[in-house]
Amino acid sequence: MPASAVRRILPLAAFVAASALLLSACSAPAADTAAESDPDGEVVWAIEGANLAAGHMDPQISQLDVSGMVQRQVLDSLVFQEADGSFTPWLAEAWDVSEDGTTYTFQLRKDVTFHDGEPFDAAAVKANFDRIIDPDTVSAQAASMLGGEYYDGTEVLGEYEVAVSFTQPYAPFLQAASTAQLGFWSPKVIEEAGDQLKAGGPEVNVGTGPFVLTEYTPDQELVYTRNDDYAWGPHGEGAAGFETLRVEILPEASVRTGVVTSGEADLASNIPPSQVSELPEDVTVDTIEYPGLPYSLFLNEAYGVFADEKVRQAFARAIDVDAAVEEIYYGEFPRAWSVLSASTPGYDAEVEGTWAFDQDAANELLDEAGWTKRGDDGIRMKDGERLSAKWIAWTPVPDDRAALANAIQSDLAEVGFEVTRDELEPAQYNEQYGPKTFDITDWGFSGVDPDLLRSHLHSEGFQNASQVKDAEVDELLTEGLSAQDQADRDAVYKQIQEWNATYTAIVPLYTPSLITASNATVDGLAFDLYGRPLFYDVTVAAR
Amino acid sequence: MIRRIVELAASAVFVLWGAATLAFLAFRIIPGDPVDVMLGPLAQVSEATKDGIREELGLTRPPMEQYLDYLGGLLRGDLGESYQLRMPVTEVIGRQLAPTLQLTALALVIALALALAATLLARRGVARNIAMAAELVVLSSPVFWIGLVLLAVFAFGLGWFPVAGTRNPATIVLPAFTLALPVAALIAQVLRDGIDQAERQPFAQTVRARGAGPARVTFAHTLRHAGAGALTLAAYLVGSLLGGAVLVETVFARPGLGRVTLTAILDRDLPVVTGVIMLSALVFVIINTVVELVHPLIDPRLRMPRRARADATVAPPLVGERR
Repeated sequence: MPASAVRRILPLAAFVAASALLLSACSAPAADTAAESDPDGEVVWAIEGANLAAGHMDPQISQLDVSGMVQRQVLDSLVFQEADGSFTPWLAEAWDVSEDGTTYTFQLRKDVTFHDGEPFDAAAVKANFDRIIDPDTVSAQAASMLGGEYYDGTEVLGEYEVAVSFTQPYAPFLQAASTAQLGFWSPKVIEEAGDQLKAGGPEVNVGTGPFVLTEYTPDQELVYTRNDDYAWGPHGEGAAGFETLRVEILPEASVRTGVVTSGEADLASNIPPSQVSELPEDVTVDTIEYPGLPYSLFLNEAYGVFADEKVRQAFARAIDVDAAVEEIYYGEFPRAWSVLSASTPGYDAEVEGTWAFDQDAANELLDEAGWTKRGDDGIRMKDGERLSAKWIAWTPVPDDRAALANAIQSDLAEVGFEVTRDELEPAQYNEQYGPKTFDITDWGFSGVDPDLLRSHLHSEGFQNASQVKDAEVDELLTEGLSAQDQADRDAVYKQIQEWNATYTAIVPLYTPSLITASNATVDGLAFDLYGRPLFYDVTVAAR
Repeated sequence: MIRRIVELAASAVFVLWGAATLAFLAFRIIPGDPVDVMLGPLAQVSEATKDGIREELGLTRPPMEQYLDYLGGLLRGDLGESYQLRMPVTEVIGRQLAPTLQLTALALVIALALALAATLLARRGVARNIAMAAELVVLSSPVFWIGLVLLAVFAFGLGWFPVAGTRNPATIVLPAFTLALPVAALIAQVLRDGIDQAERQPFAQTVRARGAGPARVTFAHTLRHAGAGALTLAAYLVGSLLGGAVLVETVFARPGLGRVTLTAILDRDLPVVTGVIMLSALVFVIINTVVELVHPLIDPRLRMPRRARADATVAPPLVGERR
């Protein structure tokens, strides 16, 4: 048996060696790659996707990244956001924004049809936007991207002309309209099976995209098959360069790395930093920083010791962020300085280095704040009270975040600042988060438009965990929401970022990246601003 | 016989009612607002909408009314609709039942085969010690880790089995072995212990004295003794196979009841959790009934009708009489 196997492999090995020689002789293989690609081929994409089966198949409803990431194959948007942040036509050929910034009028493409044959027209846009905003839909993110309380309505002006209005100027709308969250389901499905969209499945998740969802096995795989009629890609792309996109749901990170290494998958998303070094040389690793609010600590100024600005500033300066982040994330994730990550349009690089690690400065600030006495265990005291802060964390806590928290706790202990940490089940977390009876909590929030700071820092923001109540900040955030000119908006968010660097309501720690590993079998892979793979120009080598 | 069936049916109903009631109570005792948990972290949903959901799910009604309504639904066989998926619970469970049953059944077959092989083929000497050491190692290793090791060796390394996907039926092999190994180790230990004990009993001496060879002693006599204990254990382990599959399902990315249950518990999807609890209770009742029926086949002492056994305690002379 081994002998015959060797005999079978020998000619193959000889052929491979010969072709390798031939290839290395060619200086530029250039156009040859196109000839090798298989138009009927299959791309296998491994994703984490553990939550998808829990009713997250509809990005119009779900707040999870994975939902928009996979359903992008089915959902097209009105406009496309380019890598530089600008917007180009997609399902809308052209658009106008009214003088006062409250109404967006779109001229739609006339040749677009849904997978079920329904035409894509102004009525379809209205049906989708009205569904997103309908309270019965219980949209966890798309509704607020569509302006939430500021959304006034969508009006059908002609068969292919539609106007979306807001009760006040709403600058982030084009960005929102470029996401899969505001993509379009077939109006027929919304009418007949709208309540099945979140559970999802073939003939339910029907859109206009380059792929049709043809098979769905919850917790296992999604199979997308090429939409042969597709001719309206974001850059005019036609039908996809391969037949099938098979999405394998592999929650365990080492298994995702394994399938890419063994060649069972062509690409894998959500590779943790610790696994990157285990990938072989010939696997391409694309690391794209999430735009938005970096992973941060929120210091609640309305509860305990963080009422004092000096204590907040000392807290931030006492943490050796560089060392901890470098160590825990294997140098794959950059440490963060600002409430916006470096890849977010409007990022202000000037705040970098303004609150660097400095134990002496931290000690001095705490002394100035009156925390001068020390308890037996070295923790600072003032008027018989310990300098202690309570951190509540939402379970499950990933190992890396637990390690980061440990580093932070021990750094702070060195300046006599005690941090206690409770990892809480969702329900218990809400019991403390609701009445805001905590000092510290943590999360990151991805989004391309800096308006996401409004929900975190506006006095009425729904996730203002720091409990900032500052009229000036409110005014700036409202200005950023309504300013028409990009330069004006950037100026506003620059001010807010500089304000936080001093005020320290939020302590940014690091910017996570979406890490994708891909084999040489796929060509033409592109990524959107969130780091999600785009398959419009992808071809796959013949197997 | 009829009386026996009625008794079994009554105890089944009691077990199911108890399970349903405990599930209902547990979900009311644990703290936190179910609607907040259901929507998940960072959900941007208005209070009015949340109130709407509470109203719709009937969470605003008095608990007793909710309980009676819930029991009524169960009686009609209506498990309700999943909060998360807006699908009938029977469908949510139904679509995951087949993969779970396949995996469990295959794992059980592999486990029994491995256990029998380990006890019967490695009765004495070095082989016995190796088998016992292997059992100890497998039992002390986390299932999760066993799965990753099998994957690293047989899937990524040797490339014998694919990791994921519905295309290839061979994907079931590694998860089934992962699930089977600890069960096999446990059953093998009990089986070996049982055979050892039986061999030391006087009757084994008698059998040997009558001239039976080692094979006949084992298969006709001592294995039967040991089998009774192992059968009860195996039945108990079937339950744990069904429930404990969640780690294996995660590592091998297989759909199945384990993952459905885990997500349902985390998301407070009460109807789905109830459905799974009822199913587990039902499976346990069925397995126990089967075991009760199979036991007499292995152990002739249990074959006598109750009356005779009761009488036997008064007048012992007829022990062993066959009917």
